[in-house]
Amino acid sequence: MDSPYAIEMLHITKRFPGIIANDDITLQLKKGEIHALLGENGAGKSTLMSVLFGLYQAEEGVIKKDGKEVQIKDPNDANDLGIGMVHQHFKLVECFSVLDNIILGVEPNKAGFLQKKEAREKVLALSEKYGLAVDPDAIVENITVGMQQRTEILKMLYRDNEILIFDEPTAVLTPQEIDELMQIMKNLAKEGKSILFISHKLAEIMAVADRCTVLRKGKYIGTVETKDTTVEQLSAMMVGRNVNFHVEKKPCTPGDVILEVENMTVASKVHKNDAVKNVSFKVRGGEIVCIAGIDGNGQTELVYGLSGLEPLKSGKLTLCGKDMTHASIRKRSTSGMSHIPEDRHKHGLVLDYSLEYNMILQRYFEESFTGRVGFLKRHSIRDYADKLIDQYDVRSGQGAITTARSMSGGNQQKAIIAREIDKDPDLLIAVQPTRGLDVGAIEYIHKQLVAQRDAGKAVLLVSLELDEVMDVPDRILVMYEGEIVGELDPRTTTQEELGLYMAGAKRDEVKA
Amino acid sequence: MKKLLKNNAVQALIASLICIVLGLLIGYIVLLFINPVGAGGAILAVVKNFWNYSRAALQIKNFGNTLVKTAPLLMCALSVLFAYKVGLFNIGAAGQYVIGTCASLYAALAWGWGWLPCLLLAILAGGLYGALVGLLKAFCNVNEVISGIMLNWIGLYATNMLLANVKESTSPYTLHLKSAAPQAMLPGGGMDKLLGDNANVTIAVPLSILIAVLILILLDKTRLGYELKATGNNKNAAKYAGMAERQNIILTLVIAGALAALGGAFLYLTDFEQWSVTQSSVPGMGFNGIAAAFLGGLNPIGTIFASYFIQHITVGGAYVDKTMYSSQISDLISAIIVYLCGFVLFIKYAINQGLVKTEEKKKNRDNAKGGEK
Amino acid sequence: MKKILALVLALCMVFALAACGQSAAPAANTASHKVAMITDYGDITDQSFNQTTYEACKAFCEGKGVDFTYFKPASDSDEDRVSMIEKAIDEGYNVIVMPGYAFAPAIAATAPKYADVTFIALDVSEFDLTSAGLETLPANLFSAVYQEELCGYMAGYAAVKLGYTKLGFLGGMAVPAVVRYGYGFVQGADAAAAEIGADVTVKYAYGNQFYGDADITAAMDTWYADGTEVVFACGGGIFTSAGEAAAKVGAKVIGVDVDQAATIDGLYGEGMTVTSAMKGLAATVNTELTAVLEGKFEGGKVANLGLVSNVPEENYVQLAGSTQFGEGFTAEDYAALVADMFSGKITVSNDTEISAADNAKTITVVDLGNIK
Repeated sequence: MDSPYAIEMLHITKRFPGIIANDDITLQLKKGEIHALLGENGAGKSTLMSVLFGLYQAEEGVIKKDGKEVQIKDPNDANDLGIGMVHQHFKLVECFSVLDNIILGVEPNKAGFLQKKEAREKVLALSEKYGLAVDPDAIVENITVGMQQRTEILKMLYRDNEILIFDEPTAVLTPQEIDELMQIMKNLAKEGKSILFISHKLAEIMAVADRCTVLRKGKYIGTVETKDTTVEQLSAMMVGRNVNFHVEKKPCTPGDVILEVENMTVASKVHKNDAVKNVSFKVRGGEIVCIAGIDGNGQTELVYGLSGLEPLKSGKLTLCGKDMTHASIRKRSTSGMSHIPEDRHKHGLVLDYSLEYNMILQRYFEESFTGRVGFLKRHSIRDYADKLIDQYDVRSGQGAITTARSMSGGNQQKAIIAREIDKDPDLLIAVQPTRGLDVGAIEYIHKQLVAQRDAGKAVLLVSLELDEVMDVPDRILVMYEGEIVGELDPRTTTQEELGLYMAGAKRDEVKA
Repeated sequence: MKKLLKNNAVQALIASLICIVLGLLIGYIVLLFINPVGAGGAILAVVKNFWNYSRAALQIKNFGNTLVKTAPLLMCALSVLFAYKVGLFNIGAAGQYVIGTCASLYAALAWGWGWLPCLLLAILAGGLYGALVGLLKAFCNVNEVISGIMLNWIGLYATNMLLANVKESTSPYTLHLKSAAPQAMLPGGGMDKLLGDNANVTIAVPLSILIAVLILILLDKTRLGYELKATGNNKNAAKYAGMAERQNIILTLVIAGALAALGGAFLYLTDFEQWSVTQSSVPGMGFNGIAAAFLGGLNPIGTIFASYFIQHITVGGAYVDKTMYSSQISDLISAIIVYLCGFVLFIKYAINQGLVKTEEKKKNRDNAKGGEK
Repeated sequence: MKKILALVLALCMVFALAACGQSAAPAANTASHKVAMITDYGDITDQSFNQTTYEACKAFCEGKGVDFTYFKPASDSDEDRVSMIEKAIDEGYNVIVMPGYAFAPAIAATAPKYADVTFIALDVSEFDLTSAGLETLPANLFSAVYQEELCGYMAGYAAVKLGYTKLGFLGGMAVPAVVRYGYGFVQGADAAAAEIGADVTVKYAYGNQFYGDADITAAMDTWYADGTEVVFACGGGIFTSAGEAAAKVGAKVIGVDVDQAATIDGLYGEGMTVTSAMKGLAATVNTELTAVLEGKFEGGKVANLGLVSNVPEENYVQLAGSTQFGEGFTAEDYAALVADMFSGKITVSNDTEISAADNAKTITVVDLGNIK
C-alpha cells in the first residue's frame, strides 16, 4: 500500500486533569509538503507534537507512518521513524563546535574513537545540497542565531530524518533571516522532505506553507489549502471571531519627562562586553516608547538596569526628577515604577503562591496588608485580590485562592498587569507583555497599555514582535548590540526599514 | 472520598502513612532474608518500643525516654523544615545542634550558668553558626549544603576541644550535670511527675511543641513568613518584588541554626546523656531531622508526630532479639524505616497520578455508557 | 531429602541430650538463672572488651546450658544503658554482665533497685561507683578491677630482655587503668635494663582517645622514624595507629587487654606483635558465673584482681601465649618472673599520682603528654 502521507495522526485525543488538550484531532502530512499547524497558545499544538514525539501517550487515536500504524512510546521511537524537530529554544551545547553539535548522540566511531572526517564530509555535502551555510568549526556560542538554527536543521538532516518539525522557528530571527529560513524550508520540501511548521504568524504561513491545519481550544477546526484562503479567514478560524489587528488610539500628547536615562551602561552576565552601552533616552508622560530589537541585543539588561535587578556600571537614572541611580528595587517601585517582567514565571509570579498572595507581591508590606506586629491582614488581602480579579477579569479555577501555577498563561499575565497597573505608577515598564498569549489576550493588553498612556502615564514597552512594535507605540527606539541605533516614528516607517535597523545594517546617531 | 483524597493535608498524611508501612515491610523482608524465624518478632519489637516492657512503670518511664529524645529531634526537624520553606537545604542542622550542645554545656559546667541563660546562649550560638552558612551563601554564593557539611565537622571538633575542659578526668564524657551543675538542669515542670517520675522528661517536650506551633504561625500568618516563603519558592520573583534576598537568606539560617541548637540544649541540659569528647562522627540527630521534616509533610504540626515516630523506631531498634539479629541489623532496620520516610513527596506524587488515572477511566466509562444510550 | 535431614537432626538431639545428661550430673542450679550481657558504647565485634566478655559469657552459658543473650543500648548514654538493663530484667534475666567503666552510673541507678538480680561489672572501680552516687556497694553487685601495672611490668620487662632498647608507650586516655599499664611497663623496662645494663629510652604519650586516627598515626610515624623499635599500644582501638606506622618500617607493637597477636598481625603483618599484656576478663566471667550457678556468689565488693598463682596461665594478669619468646627472655624466664612477682620478691608500684618518669631509675623516659 503506497500512502501519499508521510505521517498521519488520526483522531488523537489526549486528556489532562480538568481539560482535554487534544479532542479528536486529525493531522495528515503529505510527502514533500510544507504543512502549517496554526493555533493560539493553549490550542493544543504542543500537546499534539508531544504525542507525535512519544512524550505523551494519546488515549485515543492512531499514528500512521507511510500508511502503516506505528506505536511511538518515547522520543527514541520517533527518531527511529525519521521524525526530527527544531525546538523553539535550541538544544545546542554552547561550547561545542557546530560539527560536534550535529553529530552529538550519533557520533561515528571505531572502537570508541571518533571518526570526524566522514562526519565532516557528510555535513558539508548536506549544507551545500540544501543551501545551509554553516562553518562546521565555529563554536556555537559565537555564531548568530540564524546559524544556530541552521545547525539544528543540519542535525535533523544528518540523522536522515524525513519528517521535519519546526516549532515557532521565526520568533528569534530578523526579517532578513526569516526570508532565508523560508527559502531553506522550500528547498527541503523540494528535495522530498515533509515539513510540519508550527506557528501563529499568519503572514509566514501564507508565504511558505502548502496547507494549514487549524486548532482551537484543543479541537480540530479544519485543514485548508493556503492558496485558497486569506489571512483574515485563517485568523477567524484560529480565534473563532474577527480580530481587530490594529490598535485604536488617540493622538499622543506627551507631557513632562518621567524617566530620564543618561549614559547608562550595564555589564553582561554572560560575556565580557557590556550588554548595554552608554544608552540615553527619555520617556514622557502620555506616550508609549517602544524598545525594539532582536532578542539578546541588551533589552533585558536595559530593563534590569532600570528596575534595579542589576546595578548600573555607569550612568544616571532619574524618575520624576528624583535620582534613582543607586536606589533599591523597593525604592524604585514605591517611587512610581511598575514593571511587567519579561519572564512571568521567573520574575513575575511566585507560582506556588495563591493568586491573592501574588496580587500583593509589590505591596504586601503596606499598612493595608500588614498589621503593626507583622501579621498579614487576611481579609484585606482577600478583598483586594477579589477587586482586582473582578476589575481585570482574571479567570481562575478557585478565584483568589487558586495556585498561580494552575492558571493559564494569559490569566497569569493579566494578574501581573492588574497588580502593576493598580499600583498607579508614573512609569510602566512592560517587557514583552504579550509573549505567548492568544490574540484575544494580546488585544486586551494593548488596550490597557494605551489606557495608561491616555491617563498621562509614561509607558516603556520592550517588544520583539514586529506587529506590536509597529502598532502600539508612539516612538520606536531600536537597540542593536547594546546601543540605541535609531529612533523611528511608527506612523512613517516600514517593517523593512525597521528590520534593517534591527539587523544592524543601518544606524543613525540618535539622541532621544 | 475523592474530594478528601485531593486535599493536600490528607494526601500528606496518607503519603506519610504509606511510607511508614513500606518501611516496615521492607525492613521485614530484609529480616526474612537474614533469619526468617524471628522477622515478625523483630519488627514487632521495633514498633512496640516501650511496650516491650511488661511492667507498666517501666513502660511509662521508657515512653518518657523516647519523648526526651523526641524534643531535640523535633527541633532539628523544624530547623530543616524552616530552611526548606525558604528554599535552603539546611544539612548544617547537625552541626548547629552540636554547637547548641557545646554552648549550653560549657556555660553550665564551666561558668555555672542556670538553665535559662544556657538555653539563650545555645540559641545565640546556633544562630551565629547558622549565620555563617547564610553569609557564605549570600555574599560568596557558596552552596549551603557544602558549607553546612563542612561546618558540621568544624563544629564537632571545636565542641570536642572545648568540652574537653569540662569532662570527667577518667573518661571522655562531660561531667554529670546532676552533680556538677544541677542549676543548669531543665526543670521538669510537671512533665517528670506525669511520666513515672522520669526526671529526664522536662519542659523541653512541651516547649518544642510550642515552638513548632510558633513556626507554623510565623510561616503562615506573618509578613516575614510571606517574604521568606516567596524567596524560597522563587527567589527571582522575591528580588523583583524588592525583598532583600541576602538578608532573608541570612535571617532564615540564623533562625534555623537557633532551632537546631536549642535541640542540642534540650537533650544535654538533662541528665540523660553526657557528651563524649572523643566522638568522631556528627550525631545523627540533625540528619534524622531531615527525615522527620519530610515525613511530617513539611508541616510543623505533622513534624511533631513524625519526630516522635522516628524516635520511637530508632529507640525501638534496640529491643530486637539479639540472639537472632546482631545489633547492626536492628540499626539497619530502623535506618530503613527512617530512610523510607524521606519518600513522602514521591508517594504524594504517585497518589496524584493515581487519582488522575482513575478519574480518566471513570470519564471513559461514563462516555462509553453515554454512547450506549 | 527432608526426611534424612529430620533424621539427622533427631539423632543430633538425642546425642546432645545424652551429653547433657552426663555433664549435668553435678546438679548445678541452672534452671533459675538467665544471663544477659549489656554492651557499652562498643559492639560485640570490637576485638576488645565487649567481644572478649561476650565470647566468655556465651561459651560458659552454652557449656552449662544456661540461657544467654546480649543487649545493646540505643545510644551511648546512661539512660539507654539503664533502659537495657531494665529490659533484660524485665525479660527475666537475673544475671547481668557489664564490661567497662561507663556502666557506673547505670549500675548506681539499677543495682540497689533490683536486689534479686546479680550484677557483674568489669573494670568499674569503687571510685567510679561512688562518684556515680552509690554510697554503699549493694550485696548483689560484684565488680572486678585489675592490677594492670603487673602485666604492664611483664611486658616492659620482656621487651627489654628481648633486646629492644627504644620503646614507646601509647596510651588511650589517661584513665587509671591505662596509667597503671603504662607505669608498670616503665617499671618493668627499668628493672630489665638495670639487670642487663642496657641503655633504654621510653617515649611516653597518650592519644587522648581510644581509637587510632591519622594524627596519632603521624605521631607514631615520627616515633618509629626516630628509632623506636616497639610501641605498647594501650587503649581500645588505638593499636591501629601504632600498627599502621610500624608496618611502614617493619617495627613492632605490644598488644593490650586480650591476646591481640592474631588481630594486629592479621592487619599489619606477620610477627609484628611482640606480646600482649592481658587482663583476665574471661577468667573473671567464668569464675563469677560459676559462683552464681553454685550459689556461692559474693557481692558487695570491688575485687582488685592480679596474681593468684605462680603458674602464669592461672593469673588474672599475664602475658599472651603468643609472646615471641627468644634467647633473652624464654618461657622459663617468664615463669620465673611470674613466680618472683607472686612471691613478692618483685614489687610493682600502682601509684598513679606520680609522673611517668618517676617510675624509672636507670632508663630515660621522655614524657610527651597528650598527642591530641
